[in-house]
Amino acid sequence: MSDAVIKVDGLWFAYKDNEYVLQDINIQFDNRPTAIVGQNGAGKTTFVKVLKGLLKPSKGDVWISGTNTKETTVAQLSKIIGLVFQNPSDQMFKSKVIDEVMFGPQNIWKDKKDKNFVYEQSIKALRIVELDNKLEEHPYDLTLSERKLLCLASVIAMDPKIIILDEPTIAQDRFSTRKLAEIIKELIKDGKVVLTITHDMDFVAENFERTVIFYQGQVLDDGPTEKVLSNEENVATAHLELPNLVRLAKALDFKTTPLTIDDFVEEFSRCKKAGD
Amino acid sequence: MDNVSTLSAKISIEHLTYRYPFAKNRSLEDITLSIDAGQSIGIIGRNGAGKSTLCYTLSGLIPRFFHGKIEGSIKIDGEDVPTMSVEKLIRKVGLVLQNPFSQISGAKMTVYEEVAFGLENLGIEKDEMHERIDTVLKQFDLYKKKDKNPFELSGGQLQRLAIASVLALQPEILILDEPTSQLDPCGTTEVFEAISQLKTLGITVIIVEHKFEKLVEYVDKIALLNDGKLVKYDTPEKIFSMPQIEDYGVGQPIYTALCKRMGLKKPNGYYPVSFNETVTLLSGLKMYE
Amino acid sequence: MKVLSLYVERDTFIHRLEPITKLLYALISIVITFLFPSITVGAVFVASSLSLAISAKVFKRMILLLNVVLIILLSIVIIQGLFYSKNATPVFKLWGLTFYKEGLLYSLLLIVRVVNMIISFGVLILTTRPSDLVDDLVQKGLSPRFGYVLASVLQIIPQMLSTTSTITDAQRSRGLETEGNLLQRFSAFFALLGPLVLNSLVEARERAMAIEIRGFGVEGKRTFVREIPETKADRWIKVALYVVFTVAVVWRIVLWIM
Ligand SMILES: Nc1ncnc2c1ncn2[C@@H]1O[C@H](COP(=O)(O)OP(=O)(O)OP(=O)(O)O)[C@@H](O)[C@H]1O
Ligand SMILES: Nc1ncnc2c1ncn2[C@@H]1O[C@H](COP(=O)(O)OP(=O)(O)OP(=O)(O)O)[C@@H](O)[C@H]1O
Ligand SMILES: [Mg+2]
Ligand SMILES: [Mg+2]
Repeated sequence: MSDAVIKVDGLWFAYKDNEYVLQDINIQFDNRPTAIVGQNGAGKTTFVKVLKGLLKPSKGDVWISGTNTKETTVAQLSKIIGLVFQNPSDQMFKSKVIDEVMFGPQNIWKDKKDKNFVYEQSIKALRIVELDNKLEEHPYDLTLSERKLLCLASVIAMDPKIIILDEPTIAQDRFSTRKLAEIIKELIKDGKVVLTITHDMDFVAENFERTVIFYQGQVLDDGPTEKVLSNEENVATAHLELPNLVRLAKALDFKTTPLTIDDFVEEFSRCKKAGD
Repeated sequence: MDNVSTLSAKISIEHLTYRYPFAKNRSLEDITLSIDAGQSIGIIGRNGAGKSTLCYTLSGLIPRFFHGKIEGSIKIDGEDVPTMSVEKLIRKVGLVLQNPFSQISGAKMTVYEEVAFGLENLGIEKDEMHERIDTVLKQFDLYKKKDKNPFELSGGQLQRLAIASVLALQPEILILDEPTSQLDPCGTTEVFEAISQLKTLGITVIIVEHKFEKLVEYVDKIALLNDGKLVKYDTPEKIFSMPQIEDYGVGQPIYTALCKRMGLKKPNGYYPVSFNETVTLLSGLKMYE
Repeated sequence: MKVLSLYVERDTFIHRLEPITKLLYALISIVITFLFPSITVGAVFVASSLSLAISAKVFKRMILLLNVVLIILLSIVIIQGLFYSKNATPVFKLWGLTFYKEGLLYSLLLIVRVVNMIISFGVLILTTRPSDLVDDLVQKGLSPRFGYVLASVLQIIPQMLSTTSTITDAQRSRGLETEGNLLQRFSAFFALLGPLVLNSLVEARERAMAIEIRGFGVEGKRTFVREIPETKADRWIKVALYVVFTVAVVWRIVLWIM
C-alpha cells in the first residue's frame, strides 16, 4: 500500500465534547474506484469533511499525499483535494455560473502568466458536466440537479489529485447518473483518486471496485464490492439493501453475485444449461 | 394516523401552461391530466422536464411565490387552486420540497418543535399535536434526535424531518418531490411503506421519483413528462414498455432493462417492471426449459 | 452548519422565568437609567443586572458580549473627556491632551447606561430560547407575523455568523486563504461581504417559502407546543417591577416640578 494517497490513523471526531461521531477509523485510499455507503447519520459527510481539512480530528491523524491536515490550511490542501458538498447551496456564493467555476482556479493559479488559462480550464470543466450553455446564469436559478453538477465542475476545474463526491446522484435522472459514472471513470483514467458517497446501491454495484460501509461512526466492512455487497448480514446491519440484481440473483438461487446486467444474463444462461 | 377524513380530493388539470418570469421557455406546456381521489401517482421525467414546477402549481406556490403567467386551469374538488385561500390549500395539500435543506422553518430550536411548527399554525389541539409528532418521529427513526437542533442533522436525517413535518399535517393530498434522494435504502423503503399506509386511508399521493424499482410497486399510474409536456399518463408497465422510452432520458427499472435485454415479456405482452414479476417470469423459465 | 442561537442552556431560576418577565426587567431598568441623569442609579442597575447574569451562570458569555462594545465605550470616554461642551475642570493630561472632570463624569453616566442596556438585554437573550420569547409574546396577543420578524431580528447575529462560516468553508475549500497572515485574512473578509448579502437574501426567500407551505400565515386560532407558564415568582416580580417603575416615574415628575 505504498501508493496510498489518503491515510487515516486512529481518527476520532466529535462536534460536541465527547459525542464521538467518528470512532477510531483506520483506513487508506488509493486510486481504485471507491464507494462509501452507510445509513443516514453514519458519519460519511463528517468523515470526508475531515479528509478535506474543514474539520480537524479530535484525536488521530489524516495524511493527504504525505501532508498532515493539522499542519496546513484548507486553502493549501485545496490544490490536492476537492470536495463536492452534499448540499450544493452550501458551496455556491457567486452570482454567475462562470464566476462560480473560476473562483477556485483563480485562487490556486494566481501567478499564472497565461491569463486565458483559468478561463479555459473552467470552460473545460463546465463542458464536462454540460453546463457550458449557461455561463451567464445565476447559480440559484439552476435546478437542484444542475446545481450539483455546477459544484462538481467547480471542483474539476481546479484539477486536484483527489476528488470526493458527497452524494453526486441526488436529484439526477438515470441518464445523468450514467453520465456521472462516465465522468468518474474518466477522472480515474486521468490518474485521480475518486471517493464517492452514495445511497444508490445499483450505482455502487455497477461502477465501483471497492466499497466501504460506514456504520455508527466506524468502518463496518471494506473490500471488493462484490464481496462486501454479498454479505447480507453486514448490509442489513448497516440499514442498506442489496443491489436489485443481487437481490434477484438470491431469489433465483444464483451461486454468484452479479453486479451488472451482463453478469446476470451470463450467469442465468449458465444456470439454465446446468439445470437441463 | 387517525382521524383522517376519508373524503379525499380529486385533482383536475386542464391545458396547464406556465412560464417562469423572465424565462425564455415554458416550463409546463398544455398539460391535461386528472387524478382520482385516493390514487397514488408517480411523476417521472428527465432533469428539467418540469416535475418540480408541476408540484409547485399543484400546491399553489405558483403563483404565490413564483409569479409568471399561468394559462389553463388547475382544480382541486372543482375549486381553482391559484385563487384558493392559503388556509384551505394548506389543509388540503402538503408539499415536501426537493431540497430538504430549504424546508426547515428556521424558527424552531429542536427537531420536535420543528415538526410542531405546522401544527401550531393550523391550531391543532395540544394532546393531538404531541401524539402526531411522536408518531411521525418514530415512524422516520428521528425520535432519538428529537431534542437536537435541526441544523445539526445529517442530510438524510433532515430529509426525514422534512417528510415527517408535512405528514404530521395530515393533508388530503400529499406531494413529494424526490423525497428519498438522500435517504439510505431502508429509509427509502420506510417512506414508500408510509405512502402505502396513506393510500389505505384514502389520501392522494403524488410523488416525483427516480428510483423506479421502488416506485412501480406503490403507484397506480405514472405521468411521464418531457420538456414541460405530458408524454404519457398510464400504468407503470405500459409506460416502461413503450419502445421510445429511452428517448426521454429517464431510463427504466433495472428489471425491465434486464427483461428487454433477454427478450422476455409477461403473458399480457408487457415487460415486467417489478421484482416480483421478474422473479415469477425468470423462475418459470428456469423450471420448464 | 452552526447552531443559530446565543442562548446558553442552563437550569437556573432565571432560565425558568417567563420570557416576558425578563423582557419587562430589561425595558424598565433601561428606561429608569435614562430617566435619572445619575451615575448612582445607573450603577445600581448595572449591579443588579450583573447579579442576575451571575446567578444565571452566563457571566462568561456576558463578558464576551461586552467585549464587542468595548471600543465604543472607550471612544465615549475619550471624546467626552476631551470635548464635552460643559468641560471646565481639568483632571489629567495624556500626550498633551487635557481630560476634564465634567466630560469624564458624563461619559461615565453614558457608560453605565449602555452597559446596563447590554447586560439586562443580555440576560434576556442568553437565558431565553428565542422561540420561547416569541411564543410568549404571540400567546399574549402579538401578531405571529410580527413575532416571526422579531425572531429573525433576535437571530440576526447568529444567522450571519452561520452563513459566514458556510461561505468561508466554501471559499477556503476552493483555495482562498482565510487562515493565513493578517493581510490574507483582511482580503478574505472583503471576499465574504458580497456573497454574505446574496446568500442571506436567498436564504430569507427560501425560509419564507418553507414557512408558508407549513401553514404560516393561516389566520385563526393557533396552538403552542411549548407551555410557557407564568409562575407565582413571575407574577411577584412583575408586580415589583411595576411598583419600582411607578415610583421612579412619580419621583422624576416630582423632581421636575420642584
Ligand atoms: N425559478 C426558476 N426561474 C426560471 N426558470 C426555472 C426556475 N425553476 C425552474 N426553471 C426552469 O424550468 C424548467 C423545469 O424545471 P423543474 O425544476 O420543474 O424541472 P424538474 O423536472 O423538477 O428537474 P429536476 O429533475 O432537475 O429537479 C427547467 O428548464 C428549469 O431551468
Ligand atoms: N454540525 C453538527 N453539529 C452536531 N452534530 C452534527 C453536525 N453535523 C452532523 N452531526 C451529527 O453527526 C452524525 C453524522 O452526520 P453526517 O452528516 O456525517 O452523516 P452522514 O453519514 O453523511 O449521513 P447522511 O447519509 O444522512 O448524509 C449525525 O448523527 C448528525 O446528527
Ligand atoms: Mg451526508
Ligand atoms: Mg425538480
